Amino acid sequence: MKRLLAGLSVLFVLFLTACSSTDSASGTTEDGKTEIIFWHAMGGELEASVNEIVDEYNSSQDKYTVKPVYQGSYEESLTKLNTVAGTADAPAVTQIFEAGTKQMIDSGNIQPVQKFIDEENYDTSQWEENISSYYQVDGEQYSMPFNSSTPVLAYNKDAFKEAGLDPEQAPRTYSELKDAAEKLTIKEGDKTSQYGLSILNYGWFFEELLATQGGMFVDNENGREGEATKASFNDEKGQKVFELISDMYEEGTFYNSGQNWDDMRASFQTGTMAMMLDSSAGIKGLVDNADFEVGVAYLPHPDDVDPQGVIIGGASLWMAKDIEENQQQAAWDFMKYLSTAEVQAKWHVESGYFAINPAAYEKDIVKQEWEKYPQLKVTVDQLHDTVPSTVTQGALISIFPEARQQIVTGMESLYQGEDPKAALDKAAAEVDTVLEKGSRSR
Amino acid sequence: MNDSRDLQPVPPQESRRPKRNLFAFLEGWLYLLPSIILFGVFVFYPMFRTIYLSFFLADQMGPFEFVGLENYQYILSSDSFQSSVKATILFVLYTVPAGILLALFLALLTNEKIKGIGIFRTLFSSTMGMSVAASSVIWMFMYNPSIGVFSRIAEWLGFPAIQWLQDPDYALLAVSLSTVWMNAGFAYLIILGGLQNIDTHLYENAKVAGVSYLYQLRRITLPMLSPTLFFIVTVSFINSFQTFGQIDILTKGGPVESTNVIVYSIYKDAFINNDVGSASAQAVILFFCVLLLTALQFKLGERKVHYQ
Repeated sequence: MKRLLAGLSVLFVLFLTACSSTDSASGTTEDGKTEIIFWHAMGGELEASVNEIVDEYNSSQDKYTVKPVYQGSYEESLTKLNTVAGTADAPAVTQIFEAGTKQMIDSGNIQPVQKFIDEENYDTSQWEENISSYYQVDGEQYSMPFNSSTPVLAYNKDAFKEAGLDPEQAPRTYSELKDAAEKLTIKEGDKTSQYGLSILNYGWFFEELLATQGGMFVDNENGREGEATKASFNDEKGQKVFELISDMYEEGTFYNSGQNWDDMRASFQTGTMAMMLDSSAGIKGLVDNADFEVGVAYLPHPDDVDPQGVIIGGASLWMAKDIEENQQQAAWDFMKYLSTAEVQAKWHVESGYFAINPAAYEKDIVKQEWEKYPQLKVTVDQLHDTVPSTVTQGALISIFPEARQQIVTGMESLYQGEDPKAALDKAAAEVDTVLEKGSRSR
Repeated sequence: MNDSRDLQPVPPQESRRPKRNLFAFLEGWLYLLPSIILFGVFVFYPMFRTIYLSFFLADQMGPFEFVGLENYQYILSSDSFQSSVKATILFVLYTVPAGILLALFLALLTNEKIKGIGIFRTLFSSTMGMSVAASSVIWMFMYNPSIGVFSRIAEWLGFPAIQWLQDPDYALLAVSLSTVWMNAGFAYLIILGGLQNIDTHLYENAKVAGVSYLYQLRRITLPMLSPTLFFIVTVSFINSFQTFGQIDILTKGGPVESTNVIVYSIYKDAFINNDVGSASAQAVILFFCVLLLTALQFKLGERKVHYQ
């Protein structure tokens, strides 16, 4: 027993010393290469894809080595970054989701890539403007777009045929959507075996449905002309979105699929609903896994508006500030490599995310893929048809994660019979409070 | 302790005593040191730091503006915190009594000496070996309205399928049910251990006296088991107040905040909303609630506990 205890205490001391001597996150390897750490949030099949791209980069040149590290979901990796940001242990490159953009800028721990663009006169016009503009503030490019997606309407073509609808003609306006959903809904007694539509309880979809009508999420031109002080999503445009959900839910044509993407997709695949909103990045997997034909169409809009297009979603790559010069150079070199047409073509084909460099769409592997999955082209077209403005640039606020939770709570209360306007006003009031509190941050 | 010296009478040499006392004092501290360091680093320091942070506006990088009690005022006046308190209390009420009664029932069943009882004992305590994450994922599949077993059963019985985790009326109940299942193994094992410790002579005497099973349960088993029950009630209460994993995996505090218990709300504020001040204030409030409750339990509950 005593020996065991002694052994344990030795282990404990070892553990403590191991804790205190943290490994330096980045450094120079023995063979003189500069090594940098790349934190990303791409799990599952996407992780394999990212690792492959990084391996190819490492063998394509002999100055730098990039080490990819998977850090969990977008939220988790942002949280982890916050604990090391601004120290020498911070990763040189981190992938951060779109909603974390303002938080990153305000943190002061990042190096805008604009510096390197200027130094090298790097031609940014080769990038897709609708994507890179999301990460621009006051004309300065802060981060490097990497994986971008937009929302689309996915539908079950077989169910359309059965309901007597034209499978090549997806609904575009709200009234067409309601009409189609009603025809698609199949009721057996008091049970519904197939619903018309489902929208995930996720703030992003609300933001998109608002933007396509030209609605602003917050004041001061979505926080891009100045610090946002008040929520503006509870205007009549926002109400139209909430009314759509509320009306359809009451009519029994809308299915509440909760907050989980996988649950929603599983329900779609088992035929619980015939239409849903999904991310463009999920389309390929959806087509592969469904045993029916999947159609993809633009995001629906209210009858009387001119659709403005979509806001970019997904993530971008941020460079750390307080690291050595050669590491920043390595990070920049890696970012440039990622944005080449070849890598972007591969990335688009494997992940379904957009190519940030439109030249990639001219590559053969993309053309072949589009023949196999014509649905992917629809997602790209929708992005190209987007009208650039502060609306489709998206809101720039640091409290995005919390704002999204408030929208979700509002959406969920609709299923409890809450009045759409009241639900939206409540969410807006909460967001106002948080914006006020957030404005007092450093 | 093989020091036989302790057992011998102390020689009356007054002059040597202070020195020995000092030595014993230091020696005692030396033995305590590992646990003091552990507690200090992992319990006391975080605790005081949390109390400190609760008086500041703070993000994950640390505090940046002293605001006194503003965090507390904000929390206590917010609807969201009130619904968190409600969800927490309901959650505790759903899980603690049900979990202990279930464990007690199973333990009584398997306290008999029958062939093959080991199989049942292993089965009933097996949930102890399951991680919260793994069990939550299993329950998530069972609750799934399209493919889950619960909707299949409901369908078979002719009831409409319930969206267990998407309906605010059922979500907390659903999470509680899975929690009862997850915690039953531990409570069962502790209670069974307590039952096994009861002197068999008491039961033999009861048999001779010819009393009924219920009388025996009320007058022998439960009083003799009371220290064990007291322990498991206290631990279950505290556990229940601190439940996090299954809520994060099953509902993420939704729908309409119906499962947003205080611990989950703390997590959300600290790690998603980057508002460490508010999270710390909630943590402090929760700490004092649990402290008060535990103190009350010791004051009121322990009177009924029979120590042998």
